[in-house]
Amino acid sequence: MKLLIVEDDATTGAYIARGLREEGHVVDLFDDGKSGLIAATSTSYDVMILDRMLPGVDGLTVLKTLRGAGIKTPVLLLTALGDVDDRIEGLHAGADDYLAKPFVFGELSARVSALARRPQAIENETVLKTGDLEMNLITRKVTRSGVELDLLPREFALLEHLLRRKGRVQTRTMLLESVWDIGFDPGTNVVETHISRLRAKVDKPFDRELIETVRGAGYRIAA
Amino acid sequence: MKDRIRQLWRSMPIRLAILLVALFAVVSLLSLAASYAVTQSSFEQTIRADLRQDLAGFRAAPNARAVALLVDAESREADPNRLILSYIGPDGRIYGNGAIAQDDEGFHIFSLNPERAQFSGDYLSLTDTLYGGLITVARSRAEIVALRDVFVNILLISLLPTVLIALSGGLILARRSKRHVEVVSSALDRMTSGDLGARVTIGPRWSDDLVRIGGKLNQMAGAQEAQMKALKGVSSDIAHDLKTPLQRVAVYLEELEAKVDEDGEVAALVSKTQDEVNDMTRVFQSLLQLAQVEAGSPRNRFEKVDLAQVCRTVVEVFEPSAVASHHHLTLTADLEEAFIKGDRALLGQMLSNLIENALRHTPDGSHVSVQLTAQDGQLKLIVADNGPGIPADEKDKVVQRLYRLDRSRHTPGHGLGLSLVEAVAGLHGATVELADNAPGLRVELSFPR
Repeated sequence: MKLLIVEDDATTGAYIARGLREEGHVVDLFDDGKSGLIAATSTSYDVMILDRMLPGVDGLTVLKTLRGAGIKTPVLLLTALGDVDDRIEGLHAGADDYLAKPFVFGELSARVSALARRPQAIENETVLKTGDLEMNLITRKVTRSGVELDLLPREFALLEHLLRRKGRVQTRTMLLESVWDIGFDPGTNVVETHISRLRAKVDKPFDRELIETVRGAGYRIAA
Repeated sequence: MKDRIRQLWRSMPIRLAILLVALFAVVSLLSLAASYAVTQSSFEQTIRADLRQDLAGFRAAPNARAVALLVDAESREADPNRLILSYIGPDGRIYGNGAIAQDDEGFHIFSLNPERAQFSGDYLSLTDTLYGGLITVARSRAEIVALRDVFVNILLISLLPTVLIALSGGLILARRSKRHVEVVSSALDRMTSGDLGARVTIGPRWSDDLVRIGGKLNQMAGAQEAQMKALKGVSSDIAHDLKTPLQRVAVYLEELEAKVDEDGEVAALVSKTQDEVNDMTRVFQSLLQLAQVEAGSPRNRFEKVDLAQVCRTVVEVFEPSAVASHHHLTLTADLEEAFIKGDRALLGQMLSNLIENALRHTPDGSHVSVQLTAQDGQLKLIVADNGPGIPADEKDKVVQRLYRLDRSRHTPGHGLGLSLVEAVAGLHGATVELADNAPGLRVELSFPR
């Protein structure tokens, strides 16, 4: 993928640029709003990562200008710590997702790939599959190798979420937002607990593990 | 209706209008009554003077016979409705157009003319003895009676409409000024509920003092808004200034983590440092969030929130932690759904803080219950435990920022949890009560519906 990063802090910018390049992406890095805006309007990117506060033209203005010009590239906004208003303003201005600083690289990387592959044909399917695992969304039955698995509603929702994004890392906060629908970190181990319950039912009785833990990032179901 | 009248009466302009009109009416009535009295007495004096003059005329006659002739002659000319003359001669004969008789009710004049038995109306009379007889002259008071009618008419056709016009004019003015006052008071309401942009829109026809008050209020609100903005600026500056170094620390720690042996001693130190950084971030996060909530800015994005749903989700999220620490966490909700206007994330955060507090400050095996009930038109959200509770004299202090009970010094937490609970509750117009659960702590939040 071709990615644009506009981040004024050199350390952070270089670090995420390097990390994303190591994952095989092509990355352009700028440290001020003006050059970021010029790049964004002259080159076609898959995802843009914009810092909310930038010297010169600030991130929100860059975002609004892009949206005003009809450029619909997914944007991940990096916001200041704790500023809920910033976040809301960002989403209003046309950001597709936001990430509050400080973040870990795994979180950023997971969110970038989630944004890049957002339009999904899979949304309309009634049966989700990976390997020998099958989930029927109409009868709400889950089978593996033909054996029916008995899942609780939240476990079903969690598995459905992972299956719809198979092969892609989902972080703890992403799961809390999508599966539990909570926009704050309760500081509990609810995600970990449900993943381990799910594993006990989906993976343990079988020889191949489908639910993977990605160190420092989150979870993913094998494609 | 009664309430409306009472409400109208309580408004100062209306009271003023009514009092002024009443004063005007009383003064007019008094002056009308005084001029009536003066006119009446002058009329009476005129009549009395006429009567004395009449009598003097008869006294000029030389004898009883002449008086009798004079009375007869004059009474033939006179209209008995205006003037009555009567002379009872020394021989007992009655001359004139009427006679005076007395009974229990007073004096009466009756006609000597057989067609008219008795006259109606009031008369003023003067009687005297003359040449052995009794002469009486009586003049009608009809004019004085007519005068009273004139005054009543004046009252009806001039004073009454004037009072009515003044009263309705007063009411119209009063209502207008009441509307103006309401504009000021609604702007004040908006200001006190956290809308810092609220201003009094001063109308072109406002009275000077109201314009002055409105202007001062706007000035005050402007100053307050500027102050809030400056404060927000400071807090967002802090947020911005901190995010870069914190982000760098996170970056360096990640780089360090990648460079060291996964199970070694250094990796454990890195992991501990990361935990501390996360903790630090959470404290800053809480402080900044608290500042925003207290400034009331999240109120601008309030939406319909199902409190019952929030309770179910948060309790579910805490269930694994409760199990891990051997607590019994239960949810009792009388309501399937309970909608209020609010911020879902903040309400969830608030309940999380309460449950987290309860789990953290009660021994293993304790019960923590979350209850949602409708009571007295209010929505009650209760988080109760059977742990050690909070000493009565410290209840006020625990909601203070960063305050911690002595015995909690060694448990994790940063003492911002209850401050945020109180701030979020306040933002939603809810009250917080810390009660004794005998034993344990019972936090009761009452939301208006």
